[in-house]
Amino acid sequence: MKRPVLTIYCLLVYAFLLAPILVVVGASFNAGNFLTFPPQGLSLRWYVTFFNNEVFMRAIRTSLWLAAVSTVISTIIGTMAAIYYVQHAGKRKELIRIAMLSPLLLPEVLTAISLLFFVYTIGIGTRTIIGLVVGHVLITLPFVFINVSASLESFDSSWDMAARSLGAGRWTRFRRIMLPLIKPGVIGGALFAFIISFDVFTISFMLKGIGMSTLPIQLFDYLRTNFTPEAAAVSTLSIVLTLGVVIVSEKVLGLRIHRF
Amino acid sequence: MSAKRGAGIARPWLLMVPAVALLLIFLVIPYINIVLMSFRTPGTGTPYGVGFTIDNYLRFFSDSFYLFQVFNTLWIGALTTALCLIIGFPVAWQLARGDMRFRGLAYGLVLSPLLVGIVIRSYGWTILLGNAGLINRTLQALGIIDSPLPLMYNALGITIALVHVFLPFMILPIMAAIQGVDPSLESAARSLGASRFTAFRRIILPLSMPGIQAGCILVFVLSLSAYVTPSLIGGLRVKTMAVTVVDALIDTFQWPWGSALALMLSVTGAVCVLIFARLTRMKWKVARS
Amino acid sequence: MTEVSIERLTKVFGSSRAVDGISLRIADGEFISLLGPSGCGKTTTLKMIAGFEPVSDGAIRFDGSDVVNVPAEKRDIGMVFQNYALFPHMTVAQNLAFGLEMRKVAKPEMEERIARVLDMVQLGGYAERYPNQLSGGQQQRVALARALVIEPRILLLDEPLANLDAKLREEMRVFIRDLQRRVGITTVYVTHDQAEAMTMSDRVVVMFGGRIAQMGAPADIYEKPETLEVAEFVGQVNLIKGRVTSVDAGEAQISTVFGTVAVPDRGIARPNMTATLALRPEALDLAAAGEPGAAGRITARYYSGSLVDFRVALSSGEELHVQTFPNARYSEGDDVTVRAPLDAFWLIGAAQ
Repeated sequence: MKRPVLTIYCLLVYAFLLAPILVVVGASFNAGNFLTFPPQGLSLRWYVTFFNNEVFMRAIRTSLWLAAVSTVISTIIGTMAAIYYVQHAGKRKELIRIAMLSPLLLPEVLTAISLLFFVYTIGIGTRTIIGLVVGHVLITLPFVFINVSASLESFDSSWDMAARSLGAGRWTRFRRIMLPLIKPGVIGGALFAFIISFDVFTISFMLKGIGMSTLPIQLFDYLRTNFTPEAAAVSTLSIVLTLGVVIVSEKVLGLRIHRF
Repeated sequence: MSAKRGAGIARPWLLMVPAVALLLIFLVIPYINIVLMSFRTPGTGTPYGVGFTIDNYLRFFSDSFYLFQVFNTLWIGALTTALCLIIGFPVAWQLARGDMRFRGLAYGLVLSPLLVGIVIRSYGWTILLGNAGLINRTLQALGIIDSPLPLMYNALGITIALVHVFLPFMILPIMAAIQGVDPSLESAARSLGASRFTAFRRIILPLSMPGIQAGCILVFVLSLSAYVTPSLIGGLRVKTMAVTVVDALIDTFQWPWGSALALMLSVTGAVCVLIFARLTRMKWKVARS
Repeated sequence: MTEVSIERLTKVFGSSRAVDGISLRIADGEFISLLGPSGCGKTTTLKMIAGFEPVSDGAIRFDGSDVVNVPAEKRDIGMVFQNYALFPHMTVAQNLAFGLEMRKVAKPEMEERIARVLDMVQLGGYAERYPNQLSGGQQQRVALARALVIEPRILLLDEPLANLDAKLREEMRVFIRDLQRRVGITTVYVTHDQAEAMTMSDRVVVMFGGRIAQMGAPADIYEKPETLEVAEFVGQVNLIKGRVTSVDAGEAQISTVFGTVAVPDRGIARPNMTATLALRPEALDLAAAGEPGAAGRITARYYSGSLVDFRVALSSGEELHVQTFPNARYSEGDDVTVRAPLDAFWLIGAAQ
């Protein structure tokens, strides 16, 4: 092994990165009433409790729905902006980049509060889910933009010219040439957007309506007062869900990328 | 004769309309609104009153409690950033340059925390760091300590968890920057007689400076506005500014006061970032000359 | 088939004129090369013909009808790009089918045409490969096939051989030339490589600074360049000073170290002027010292297999570059005589 010190150091860092996640997964199989160590035997009882807990199930449904809707919206808006940014922006490129990344660069707390006051000021408040969806779109937009523009940067403009010289109109060129070639970026961006939206906390915390809850918020509320391993079971399921999304998409994506 | 013919889409700016509209209506205007809000008078029974005032800011600057909290938040942010840099740089270097077979896996490991919600990760740390947590229990069982170490409900615990939460944001930009440095530059430096360390210090480090800068700014800003981690790990005992602000708004409904607090935190954070950017840019120039 | 006529074509970028009012007629089936250094406007001209670059002023006519306002996708051109621009997500067959689909060619005819063109570029068995599974030369031929399969009015090639290695490049020159002859398509070829332009073209258009410096058959361009710039761009050149002794009926007698040379006066030579004459290194020959010719000494010798290059300092002070076959067994430091056929000179300039 070359440079053993560096390798061991990195392994330690990876262990540090994984530790809290593994601990949560491990705790979810604890048979005891509290998060005690060593665990009092293995059990799936907390999963049963959690699946029968309507509050958590409703929160999961809300989170999935919210993530799906905001992903679709931000993928469309972000892809359009990325196309303009890479191919047409010219001198305005830097300005557009900063604008598109601004939701990521600005403190999430401040954005969440601003948006909360704004929806109240214009009168819609948190009675509708508009504010919540807008917040999620804002937060996920930069991830779509980064991914799509990265794949567009490697989109060779001579492909577009070649298609034109062969007689393809604007829409055909987009559908047959550009879209298939930037698809990994678009899917990657959408995937990222979905996961980010699924995990967003502060924005949802401020903009959720009364009685409404996403999974991270429900979990947070629960953790403030409860210490049973049910929270670990909820967390583990959430981890499995996101991991599932990633793996499925990677497989689908992997097949496509492999072809070129 | 029409001069503008041929290339591309007729009105490409239409592509930007949805994004610009979204950012303008739901980001720019709300930010203007919150600045105005911070100058409003407190309301009675309503979130804010009718007139404008600078009392919110006067209250902030006259209360050492808040000044101390801002200082505390900045300190935790700076510490988190420094630790992330120290811990993350070798990993970024290994990912970018290391000739290891499991690079894909290692990259996945670095990314994986990003895929797990911040609530869950902070929760993991409470399990690890709590007085009855895994670390204390293990140390006690081994007889190394008698009473639990105070790992949670203090700045130490918050910093450990924040480092974990934001480490990928440090590693990824630095990795990208190092990857962007042509490896033959390093070979060239070595061929000119530079040691491995000198080649690293004189070539790789200065050229990866933009990545380091980006990573530091990202981690610092993210840790200033972190709410979940300090809230769960700090509990009621140690509060960062973001926690105070959110609680002030959720619990007490004092919008103008909450706005002023949020803006003061953001402005001090921005000033720190600017100073940092200026300093590192100077360093970079010196390193390049 | 199509005749292309370009009139006062101009392209302005900001304050610079990338293409400055060039006029050019390309006959039906002709192979024309636009030759020049980078930045001379050749690629911009090609892009304007293709429709990828808006025209600032002037006209481009295909068979008499102005196409300046016709978008690229409607011009019916076949284009081969420097990096080939093959669609990476499509197989060779799908790449070729693309243009035919745009023209709504029926499936059976499409397959027949693709097979025929693939045969023509000798890639019969490669229809189902993806571009990244092909070598550079194969990709190049696919790009050519994709442009030809649509049976375009004009074929445009933008430095198509620039990314190939030297040996393949020479093969492809001949291949493209022969293919173009067989198909008989009007072709515009952009290159900065003079050998490429010479080998392939019916006519070469040499461009400098957005203008046409000279156009004509390859032999004319090489043997009778009108300016020093053109002469130096298409090959190596020796400059010799001489004195104009007389001018009569368009012919100037010029006395040089090689004797008296008769060249067309080009309307610039007057008696008693100092003239600058040019001649190619391969026109010169070496002989033993004392033979008739210009005396000199070899200062350097460079062997390159099929040829040997000599640098010779003449006793008159001029430095000459002589290219001969390797059987000339002279070495550095040898005293030699440089001989020049008197019809190899041409007049570059004359001054008092």
